[in-house]
Amino acid sequence: MAGYAVAIAAFKLFLLTSPLAIVVVVSLVVGLLMVVLFGYTSDQKAIGIAKDQLKAHLLAVRLYRDQIPVVMGSYGKILRGTGRYLKLAFKPLLYVIIPITLLMVQIDRYLGATPLPPNAPFLLTVHTTGSDALNDVTLDLPPEITMTAPPVHVPAGNEIVWRLAGSKEGKYEVKIAAAGQSAAKAVCVGSDLARISTVRLRGQFWERMFSSAEPALPENSPIESISINYPDRNIEIAGYGMNWIWLFFILSMVAGFIFKELLGIQI
Amino acid sequence: MTVPFRKRLRLVCLLALCAAGLSLLLSCQHARGGAVGSRKLIILGIDGLDPDLLTKFMAEGKMPNFARLAEQGSFRRLTTSIPPQSPVAWSNLITGMNAGGHGIFDFIHRDPKTFQLYFSTSRVEGPKHSFHVGSWVIPLGSGTAEQLRHGKAFWEILDEQSVPNYVYRIPANFPPIAAKGKTLSGMGTPDLRGTYGTFTFYTDDPTAAVGAVEGGEVVQVEVKNNRVATNLIGPDNTFRKNSPPSTEPFTVDVDPLESVARIGLQDQQFVLKEGEWSGWVPVEFQLMPIFGNMIGNVKGICRFYLKQTHPRFQLYVSPINIDPANPALPISTPSSYSRDLAKQIGEFHTQGIAEDTKALTVGVLDDKEYLEQAHTVLAEHRRAFDAEFPKFHQGLFFFYFSSLDLNGHMMWRLTDPQHPAYNPALAAQYGTALEEFYEQIDQVLGEVMPKVDDNTTLLVLSDHGFAPYRHSFNLNTWLLNNGYITRKAGASGDASEPFSDVDWSRTRAYGLGLNGLYLNVRGREREGIVESGAQADALLQEIRQKLLEVRDPKDGSQVITRIDLASEAYQGPYARTGPDALVGYNRGYRAGWKTILGAFPADVLEDNTNAWSGDHCMDFTKVPGVLLSNRKIEAQAPALTDIAPTILSEFGIAKTKDMMGQSVFQPR
Repeated sequence: MAGYAVAIAAFKLFLLTSPLAIVVVVSLVVGLLMVVLFGYTSDQKAIGIAKDQLKAHLLAVRLYRDQIPVVMGSYGKILRGTGRYLKLAFKPLLYVIIPITLLMVQIDRYLGATPLPPNAPFLLTVHTTGSDALNDVTLDLPPEITMTAPPVHVPAGNEIVWRLAGSKEGKYEVKIAAAGQSAAKAVCVGSDLARISTVRLRGQFWERMFSSAEPALPENSPIESISINYPDRNIEIAGYGMNWIWLFFILSMVAGFIFKELLGIQI
Repeated sequence: MTVPFRKRLRLVCLLALCAAGLSLLLSCQHARGGAVGSRKLIILGIDGLDPDLLTKFMAEGKMPNFARLAEQGSFRRLTTSIPPQSPVAWSNLITGMNAGGHGIFDFIHRDPKTFQLYFSTSRVEGPKHSFHVGSWVIPLGSGTAEQLRHGKAFWEILDEQSVPNYVYRIPANFPPIAAKGKTLSGMGTPDLRGTYGTFTFYTDDPTAAVGAVEGGEVVQVEVKNNRVATNLIGPDNTFRKNSPPSTEPFTVDVDPLESVARIGLQDQQFVLKEGEWSGWVPVEFQLMPIFGNMIGNVKGICRFYLKQTHPRFQLYVSPINIDPANPALPISTPSSYSRDLAKQIGEFHTQGIAEDTKALTVGVLDDKEYLEQAHTVLAEHRRAFDAEFPKFHQGLFFFYFSSLDLNGHMMWRLTDPQHPAYNPALAAQYGTALEEFYEQIDQVLGEVMPKVDDNTTLLVLSDHGFAPYRHSFNLNTWLLNNGYITRKAGASGDASEPFSDVDWSRTRAYGLGLNGLYLNVRGREREGIVESGAQADALLQEIRQKLLEVRDPKDGSQVITRIDLASEAYQGPYARTGPDALVGYNRGYRAGWKTILGAFPADVLEDNTNAWSGDHCMDFTKVPGVLLSNRKIEAQAPALTDIAPTILSEFGIAKTKDMMGQSVFQPR
């Protein structure tokens, strides 16, 4: 029994820490949810009829291929039927797409990038409203993060770039001050799965929603953004690395088609 | 229910029988492999390890592991190849034949009909057929990479006998021949531009000589608003008419005050301080828009060195190496091996001659910078060694190190006060650099020796030794001055193309390559005038006699101590396809850089003030290699051609009929 419990605990740990396992599980769950949600929010009977009619017209094209008027008429009906089918699928798809997009954004915080490896250099880039502000920008680092090169001022791009390195695994905050305003940026050093925010932005609601996991910078700050070049995370499959989105897309589609058949839901 | 159950039972029984049979077969196979592979053979191939330097460093206590191996086992001088050039020497070792058998005579060969020069060990060609659409070229078929070395490699024979083997970066194996074991190609592997290594140097110095330099290219850039926007130069784009080089833009943002810059290339950014090297930076050259990912893009890796930011901008970019993680050309067997190794140890140099000797020669890198790069190369080799050696349990493990050869070439001048390029200040700083590389190789041996048991044979060997290269002998100028070459009327100075201004109708002999002397033979050369047979033989004897009489006017030293005729030195089907004679220079002398490519410098003898200051392309008797073993070497004068038979003999395999030598452990 003890061995069984250890095996279960190890499996749970694997699920929690293995990006591949997370993608597989999430894809299966999302595939199931997509199908169920689609089933509840769609007019299943109307979709069934629309699909049957499309099949009938396709059959007509094959059966009466020597009768041009019938074939042409069938093509027209296929076009109309496709439009009707898309109209029926649009509303349920909206119900499905919005939560899934939000879910993917959240998952991407964990699987889109890896934490910074200890002792490896990374870049912290601060974008200011104007080049005049560049000379006022200062950086305050925790003891675990060190500067490995003088900052590069890029007046043409209103940017200042620091090369830093984290000596110890952990989550830290670096403080950037400019024109009497101070802002912090989270830095994640380590190798475990962690929620990562690659950029902190001022305003830009939609961009912030999709790419930042930190609160907005103050509106009156001369700092427009603070970003860190976290390494992209690749999930290894048969020796090839790929972004988790591609794997998620394929697996959730496959899962969706399987669950659709099992649950008898028309898509 | 009964019938299906019986059926199932029969199926289970059948499967069980199949499994039992299969495991029996596998165990038999294993037992067979086990019998052959019960012996272990470890070979450390150290290019350019010189017996005199080794003896000196052992005596000084700087190479304790070598000293212990020599004391407990054997240490011999290993007769090198004719000529003693690495591609030739390693081909001798690989095949057990001399150049007449494997067909590699020099780094450079020539087509006698066209006088086109080409790399001797491999040929990379684009697709044979294509059609044009506007400025685009659409290939019909794919290109080829072909190895030009002939003869069976020792690991091919081991494969046939099911002896496991691992061969790391052995020279003259690009593209790697089909093999069951893991192999990685070494010397002879080109960079992504298809050369032996082309660096790029970007500068805003208006006085810099822009354009092609030896081994590289200097590009003029402008620093505008503290930003440099320029292009990385990649392989020729064969999808475009006239195959212009492909380029990828990159930017360098230089801090207005500090000596630091940010470099942005494709989706990557990194910061370098002045005097700092980047790690490996992957780059993808787009050869064709839209469809490039599917058919045309090639991936490489390069390193950046920010030499100076102010007052002048100077940035060095290494030759673009084939990316081991995504090789554009075959560099390993299995093809996935280079990727697996890159995963284990990180990206690494794949270019055959990884040390950027040319950048030091032309002054783009100084000694300190060159040595940093050279140490990186050795560190990569050692990482690969540390990753692979612990996995070795049976069969053959061959591992190659290039550092002593390339650094022997470049650092000799700082150890030799008689050398024209000797600089006391630099010698004080870097005079021990070569010695430090020797010590590192000793450390590698120190890692190997504890793993050597009674069942293991250890061979540590080099392809040749080393000697000073103080003076250049311009063979073609000598041939010209002595009436063997006639130039066209009005020709003077150096020609841009090899032999482009030679009057072949009045030329009887020419020099090409580091040691090659060719006759202009009727029927072989495009405009040959010397009849093969007695006339050719007499001419060769005459030139031999005269060359052996050449003396250095400064001190009366004999410049050339040996001329080997191909007819005497070579055996095998390719014996007459190379040079007709091999010029063996005395220690201190070598063919000049220009003469080896068919040019005519003014003086026959010149002081060598180049950083490339040590060499071995001389009289083969003066630059032997080394052979050390934990076992007693019976052969008193072993040769490179004995190594392949020795390897086979260690696993109880008879040498092939083409192999010239015999096991060094066999009494003679």
